[in-house]
Amino acid sequence: MSEIMVQMSGITMDFGAVRALENVSLSVKQGHIHALVGENGAGKTTLMRILYGAIQPTEGSVQIGGEEKHFRSQDEAIHAGVGMVSQHYSIIPELTQLDNLMVGAEPGWLIPRAAAKTRADELAQRMGFEFEWDALSEGIGPAQAQKLEILKLLWRDSQIMILDEPTAMLTPADSDLLYGKLRELANAGATVIVVTHRLPEVMEYCDEVTVLRSGQLIGSKVVSETNSAELAEMIVGHAIEFQKPDKFDAGEVVLSVSGLSVKGDRGDEAVKSASFELRAGEFVGLAGVDGNGQRELFLNLMGLQPTLGGGITLDEVDITRHSTSERLLNGMRLIPEDRHEEAVIEDWSIEENGILGLQRSGSVKSGMAINGSAKAAIAERITTLFPTKFDHVHQRFGALSGGNQQKVVNARAFEGNPRVILAFQPTRGIDIKVSELVFQKLRAFARSGGAVVMVNFDVDDLIEHCDRILVINHGEVFEPRPEESHDRAAIGRLMVGAQ
Amino acid sequence: MANTSPVISVLTSTLTFSAPLVLAALGGLCSERSGVINIGLEGKMLGAACATGFVTQATGNAFLGMISGLMTAILLSFLHWLLTQTYRMDHIISGMGINLLAGGATALVAKTFSSLGSEKMNAFPVAAYWVMAWTAVFGVYWYLKNSRGGLRLNAVGQDPDKARQMGLKPVKVRFMALLWTGVFTGIAGALVVSNAGSFTDNMTAGRGYIALAALILGGWRPIPAFFACLFFGFLDGVQLQLQGQSLFGQTIPVEFWQALPYLVTILALAGLLGKGSKAPSGLGRA
Repeated sequence: MSEIMVQMSGITMDFGAVRALENVSLSVKQGHIHALVGENGAGKTTLMRILYGAIQPTEGSVQIGGEEKHFRSQDEAIHAGVGMVSQHYSIIPELTQLDNLMVGAEPGWLIPRAAAKTRADELAQRMGFEFEWDALSEGIGPAQAQKLEILKLLWRDSQIMILDEPTAMLTPADSDLLYGKLRELANAGATVIVVTHRLPEVMEYCDEVTVLRSGQLIGSKVVSETNSAELAEMIVGHAIEFQKPDKFDAGEVVLSVSGLSVKGDRGDEAVKSASFELRAGEFVGLAGVDGNGQRELFLNLMGLQPTLGGGITLDEVDITRHSTSERLLNGMRLIPEDRHEEAVIEDWSIEENGILGLQRSGSVKSGMAINGSAKAAIAERITTLFPTKFDHVHQRFGALSGGNQQKVVNARAFEGNPRVILAFQPTRGIDIKVSELVFQKLRAFARSGGAVVMVNFDVDDLIEHCDRILVINHGEVFEPRPEESHDRAAIGRLMVGAQ
Repeated sequence: MANTSPVISVLTSTLTFSAPLVLAALGGLCSERSGVINIGLEGKMLGAACATGFVTQATGNAFLGMISGLMTAILLSFLHWLLTQTYRMDHIISGMGINLLAGGATALVAKTFSSLGSEKMNAFPVAAYWVMAWTAVFGVYWYLKNSRGGLRLNAVGQDPDKARQMGLKPVKVRFMALLWTGVFTGIAGALVVSNAGSFTDNMTAGRGYIALAALILGGWRPIPAFFACLFFGFLDGVQLQLQGQSLFGQTIPVEFWQALPYLVTILALAGLLGKGSKAPSGLGRA
């Protein structure tokens, strides 16, 4: 059971003048769950894309089951038994769930739907999943989407399963479930490679771990023979210090939300009569299972989602009817959920994206034009606030790696004298060290007289960093009793609606 | 048709006018469901009409004529594939270019071979084309629903990136899709010229655009698009019947009837008719 299934040797990958990987080797044993960890831009995803045939290495060789392979495209890798679930699920919402399961690996020229459904049901049953095969895939939540992705691997008889940040969108309970299933698959002979930046997951569920840093192999360890501290040091090159929140006195009310009801995209009441206040100095967490109204609440606070009732005041001014541009001018900032669709224009440069949303503010606007030096200064600040790997500020935004994109989007929210920052998963795809910095900067911003609300699906992050935690469940906002304000179990109960 | 009742003559002209629309709309469907915007249906039809007309007249062979029409439309379709998929050109611009190219080239051909234009055209019976059009509607519907190719076409058209992730090759799928666009628009062009008896400049007269409108009105689905084509064909028939006659004491100008299909399509797109039609999400994406 412990033969080497995947052997990547001396892999070097150049993208133009940028060397993403240098002489990296990776060996993964059959039946193991192997973690691939490292900071953003360390080259984890690049290495996996090579294994999956999406890109071809500049140098180096790939062996699967002892046989040398030169994949020229994904379908060759799929034929050789390699499957990959990327961080952004490849589920097409307009297709039915069954079609999504089959596409690319249909059972024949003519699709025998009844037989396909039987097989799909068998696979689902084996994993303890449930699907509505004939329903469209739009609106299936992240946990269900992840399950469908895993079934897609089984459908293709993948022997080698690569999962890129599989728990990024999952609740703790769903993450546990996922790793349980991966263990079952590994025990049945599958080889699993998990790209992650969450060390607790590595320690709890993985057999071996390989660490990359800046495109170089730092080392591989058997998990039982290492510990988080050692791994963390391997990842960043030195030990990390975690900062605890300091004590402070909350100031005047900055944002007040009273009886706010928000209309969802399907015409439903996505947020139901929510009331809460944010005071100057506060870093508030919003806990909840994904899809319980967090998104609609944030969008409504920015004037992007219709209000059904209730009101919002910012610095004692009623902004309920204000447009998004007025809200931006008055200091409301959003770090959106969907970086690609809602935060940036990927074909624009980093510099241009830096002033997106600030184009009407005093410092950036210069008559009918944009103040070039202000634009350059903002670009400078947003790429240095959080250490960002990039070539130059005129490069296409979409060319940045996912984590680096997120850093720039985060940093932009601090520009132009904000009053309230609404942060939706601001550390998504960002490694521990920089995540820590993001939390610190958000807190420092709050302490300087602003207020922050952060949605984070990792409850531990909220407990560790936030002054106060609100919980949203089915569009209703609750606050735990003061004595249980940082109690994981109490928050967990509120998240699922149990009082 | 002096003695036929107006109802019968409107019905006959509905069938006559709608058949090329149906074929062209199916051509557009193959292309657009794979994610390639195709406003070049008009040009492909025109090219096919021209080739079919003159080759049939020159050789006296209806089969050869139709094959040359098909080949012309297929070549133009492949040109669109090459420009949009290999050279990543904007789909609208490529489509416009093909329309202009076809317009100019067919005019040149018509001028050069004007002596042939007066010869009798020995074409396939028009009814054969009608049957082909109707069969094709159900063929395409069935293919999209039940075949591997249909599923892949749909996947690539909705999200080429995710489709690529699943091992599909969008460029290849689109090549096949555009081959079929060529076939359908080729037959449509052959039908138009067979109907008229000989090629005249710009004889497709915007039917490619009307077919595109029908495709959009039908929500990029074969059966609804078919009915949209019938409806537009019906409008044409009514127009012909009412030409010069007054309705409720008013003379309705021809242009009103000609504008009606576009008006209906705009209303449909604005969601004022039916439940609004949704374009494939991957339209125009590489």
